[in-house]
Amino acid sequence: MLDQMTAVERFQALAKGEPIDRLPCVPIVGNGAARVIGVKISSLRGNGNLIAKAQIESYKFFKYDIIRIFTDLYQQAEAMGAVVYYPEDETAYLLAPAIKDLSEIDRLEPADPCRDGNLPAHLEAMKIAVAEVGNEVPVTGAVTGPFTTASFLRGADELIRDMYRAPEAVHRLCELSLETALRYARAMLDAGCAPSLTDPMGSSTVISPRQFQQFAAPYLKRLIDYIHSQGKAVTLHICGKTNKIWEAMADAGADCLSLDNEIDLKEAKNKIGRRVRLMGNVRPSEVMLEGTVRDVEAAVKKCIREAYDNPKGYVVASGCSLPAETPFVNISAMMSAVRTYGRFPLMLEKLEEEVKNG
Amino acid sequence: MSKQERILGDLAKGVVEMDTDLTVKASREAVEEKIDAYTAINEGLVKGMNEAGRLYEEEEYFVPELLLASDALYAGLEILTPHIKRTEKGEKSKIVLGVVQGDTHDIGKNLVKIMLEVGGFEVIDLGRDVPAEAFIDKAKEVNADMIGLSTLMTTTMPVMKKVVELLERENLKGKIRVLVGGGPVSPAFAKSIGADGYAENANNAVRVAKGLLTIEQPKKVG
Repeated sequence: MLDQMTAVERFQALAKGEPIDRLPCVPIVGNGAARVIGVKISSLRGNGNLIAKAQIESYKFFKYDIIRIFTDLYQQAEAMGAVVYYPEDETAYLLAPAIKDLSEIDRLEPADPCRDGNLPAHLEAMKIAVAEVGNEVPVTGAVTGPFTTASFLRGADELIRDMYRAPEAVHRLCELSLETALRYARAMLDAGCAPSLTDPMGSSTVISPRQFQQFAAPYLKRLIDYIHSQGKAVTLHICGKTNKIWEAMADAGADCLSLDNEIDLKEAKNKIGRRVRLMGNVRPSEVMLEGTVRDVEAAVKKCIREAYDNPKGYVVASGCSLPAETPFVNISAMMSAVRTYGRFPLMLEKLEEEVKNG
Repeated sequence: MSKQERILGDLAKGVVEMDTDLTVKASREAVEEKIDAYTAINEGLVKGMNEAGRLYEEEEYFVPELLLASDALYAGLEILTPHIKRTEKGEKSKIVLGVVQGDTHDIGKNLVKIMLEVGGFEVIDLGRDVPAEAFIDKAKEVNADMIGLSTLMTTTMPVMKKVVELLERENLKGKIRVLVGGGPVSPAFAKSIGADGYAENANNAVRVAKGLLTIEQPKKVG
């Protein structure tokens, strides 16, 4: 079935509370975009043109509702001195933190997004995507949250110990990371692109809700306040367990929470749905990577059933970035399930059928 | 309360309250008082770590608290382990453990390692970013009972499948059990790749590992 609105029109209508043709849908395609244009993931490194090409072609192929310029979580940390390893055809990972000892904090500086690491290439990709398809689909740029970036600067184990041993040092690392994030966000906004935040280390799968309040939330809030001041809404993604920090995520100012399959969408709707839009939570691995087309359809129907009536709106999405090897047919199946079952007016009986049969 | 009870209590308390200083002090006292090292570890340190694990399962504790409790545990073990009498060790089940290739997050794996060691296993830690072949090679080399695979990243899950496939190819499936766990891993995924067990978290890993080995202990020849 063909869409009647572009993604931009759909989100604008949603924001104004006007009717939309169907629910928005975002299979979060990260480095899988490289597969769409048949290049190795490592070839995206530092190549704004190629990142843009991959993401634009992926969007054109699947016609989902948000382009997110994203390769990995380490971009800001790398620009501040962390060492990132780029395997030939897999997602990059952290090889070594920027500092080995807290005494080295003094030599850390916030990154200059127009100069440091691979940030300029990402900004370039954002500019190209905005110019080419920005009139039809929102183009966002991934910004890693300050607490998570701090964990890459220091090493996750050590940062976690520092929360007890040297909380002031953790705050200093978060402060430096925040400044980098603010600069990067500003550069993105200048490029006509909306920053989209992700702060996985803040998940309750890792730290406690109290530690989230202490070390992650204050910096997220300052970052979100700035993005709001520039007139953009903010999506905040945190994977893993989050039900005990939903309020804190909303208090930090997030307009939309992107949540994964460790949480119950219905519970999210009931607890926080009056304050924020929800996005999620089709399983990236079990369903999207390993499942069949039927599994994908069933999962999409379940998500829609649970959250279509979220007071602040709902976006069907994968719970997290999709593994690069996710079969294209499953991504297409996700889109087509939303075009069928997420079309307004919703066919509630059809959605319910699944409950009995599935 | 006897002096021994007080010291054992301090050992447990030091670990569960993440107090390395108290744990070290109590461990030294245990040595001075000639408390059996095995008892001090099991009824002191391990009791504390189990309590920390329970608090973790109840979501009172999170990864940071487990990590700091394990720091205290290790500080205590360092002092007490040299005093364990050889004969008390017995035959331990061996687990080859690692984070699969493509992932370098190893907090989870490290916690699993500690809990398994505390639970009486001999753990051969291959570290992080470990290729499937390396698990098989090491398991064969040390005659392991089990391979433990961990990951936090969905992108690396196919490596887990590969380990099971390699075991099958070598006719070792069933002889060497496979235990999987980590953020994106689910019981259904574990089943789909033919893993023998799935552990939801570090504390649970010990129970599952013990279960796998006791329920269907394969006959060891020779």
